[in-house]
Amino acid sequence: MIYTLTLTLAQRPEVLERVLRVVRHRGFKVTRMNMQLEDSKIASLDMVVESERAIELLTNQLEKLIDVIQCRALTLEPVTAEKVTS
Amino acid sequence: MKQGQMMRGADAVIKVLAAHGVTNIFGYPGGAIMPIYDALYGAPVEHLLSRHEQGAAFAAVGYARASGKTGVCFATSGPGATNLVTSLADALLDSVPLVAITGQVSTAVIGTDAFQEIDVLGLSLSCTKHSFMVTEMDELIPTLYKAFELAASGRPGPVLVDIPKDIQIGMLEYKTPLQERISEPEFDGEKIAAALSLLRQAKQPMLYVGGGVGLASAVDQLREFIDATGVPSVATLKGLGSVANDSPGYLGMLGMHGSKAANIAVQECDLLIVVGARFDDRVTGRLASFAEHAKVIHLDIDTAELGKLRRPDVAIAGDLRQILPALCMSLEIAPWQEEVAQLKREHCWNYDRPGELIFAPAMLNRLADKLPDDSVVCCDVGQHQMWVAQHMWFRKPEDHLSSAGLGTMGFGLPAAIGAKVSRPDATVVAVSGDGSFMMNVQELTTIKRRKLPVKILLIDNQKLGMVKQWQQLFFEERYSETDLSDNPDFVTLASAFDIPGRTITTNEQVEEALDHLVNCEGPYLLHVRIDDAHNVWPLVPPGASNRDMMEEMDKST
Repeated sequence: MIYTLTLTLAQRPEVLERVLRVVRHRGFKVTRMNMQLEDSKIASLDMVVESERAIELLTNQLEKLIDVIQCRALTLEPVTAEKVTS
Repeated sequence: MKQGQMMRGADAVIKVLAAHGVTNIFGYPGGAIMPIYDALYGAPVEHLLSRHEQGAAFAAVGYARASGKTGVCFATSGPGATNLVTSLADALLDSVPLVAITGQVSTAVIGTDAFQEIDVLGLSLSCTKHSFMVTEMDELIPTLYKAFELAASGRPGPVLVDIPKDIQIGMLEYKTPLQERISEPEFDGEKIAAALSLLRQAKQPMLYVGGGVGLASAVDQLREFIDATGVPSVATLKGLGSVANDSPGYLGMLGMHGSKAANIAVQECDLLIVVGARFDDRVTGRLASFAEHAKVIHLDIDTAELGKLRRPDVAIAGDLRQILPALCMSLEIAPWQEEVAQLKREHCWNYDRPGELIFAPAMLNRLADKLPDDSVVCCDVGQHQMWVAQHMWFRKPEDHLSSAGLGTMGFGLPAAIGAKVSRPDATVVAVSGDGSFMMNVQELTTIKRRKLPVKILLIDNQKLGMVKQWQQLFFEERYSETDLSDNPDFVTLASAFDIPGRTITTNEQVEEALDHLVNCEGPYLLHVRIDDAHNVWPLVPPGASNRDMMEEMDKST
């Protein structure tokens, strides 16, 4: 399955590493990613991830990270997913 | 020191610890944490010097688990910090509140491969609940406050604070930060109604109790729930001690080395009430066939555990102390209670063994009966650990410290040291095996240093027993690297640390030797030789259903 994730993060030097570590360890592959500093304290991160696992298994773990302020997931239909990842 | 006073960062660290009621620290000094050790000199906080940072952090874990307080440990940069990693991972998997403070090289040289520099923040990501590196003076105090709050709140866990040397030496004005309390989730009333409805419909409910009950200080609420409902119960390794041992429907531990009665009852149940537990693979066996006909009510503080491995019919995230009383109701399940009682009678342990050799399960069962009310038993990992879980009994979950999630050999001795520091009036026994004992044997010096009256029961089969058992059963008796017959003379070894001891080899010596171990003053090592043919039974083979337990099939090797 292909999912899009939209995260709001507390801006810390290691925050991207934290998120990516959890994504990898919980069995998801990043296929596209964009991170943007919103201001000195907040960053936004959009990712497209792939896995056979249910997305809740990832979002529940991401929400536990202290520096993740918000985490939203969307399941993409295969056709739509192709458009996004192509 | 008064608010607003100027001081070094290092002095502020000690002051923050004191402000959090920390009375004991476990650690080991080194270059990059020297200013903090300088601030510690003469401070009203007691520091116990370990002889390896892993030992220090395990002592802090033992301290925390035996008392419910947050454990604190110190280590220097580089090797000091890397030596902490195993203990942090252990604390993460067993949800132990711990604050680890590491020294770091100065901010100006971070990233230059300076002497004893390693990226500790990077190392910490997979083995802590959260971690910080302090890079600004004004962040130091708020960061430490946050570390204590995070370690103990929600599902507890280890938090690491890495403090560069220039931050320790730099001056700051001490100000108490505004306390940020992390709010606990409030549970949903509708879900309580749904859970009550499932309870009402159940004819064969079972309670599956995990370590979360003790962590939430919800033992009283759990016991009241059991009294009100009469629901039979089983416990995980970390849940032992939560249900009163004489509770009529209590069947002991479930899972890979659980009691046969516990596993059968769970397989037969039509409703599984999971309290502060997480469907660990050592508990469930083949997940797809675990309690396969049961509906599930799952209660936990950690939302991420709900539905992680088994989809619950009702899941409630929140404080068990509030949820459990809301679920109290009387149930009409007399036929099931009788069936469970019958299972319990049918599958009770048999301690009769012919011959002179010591049978460890029987010995441990006797030890449990001999321990005073205020006692802590710390285990290492392996066969002896499973025998402790099967054959000893505990009054409270904090009386049984076992490395459950990570399964770390070398846990027992330093954890016992920490437990003795946090509960000085308790009788503290470290039950170890000849493999595990050697993994943190240097901590005997820590016992010597403080003359800590820690009792060591060393069960010796001259084997890496659990691995040997699997080689025997699943690897065609190819005993690769599990022979430990070149062990040191353990009693002589203990005596080098001023710890008296003796070796016993026959059944008739057990009673008197256990009495002496429990009642003597000061530390003691009782070295017990057992037959290496004894394995841990029953056993659910890897990948099998809990219904298919292998029964005793010991043979002499």
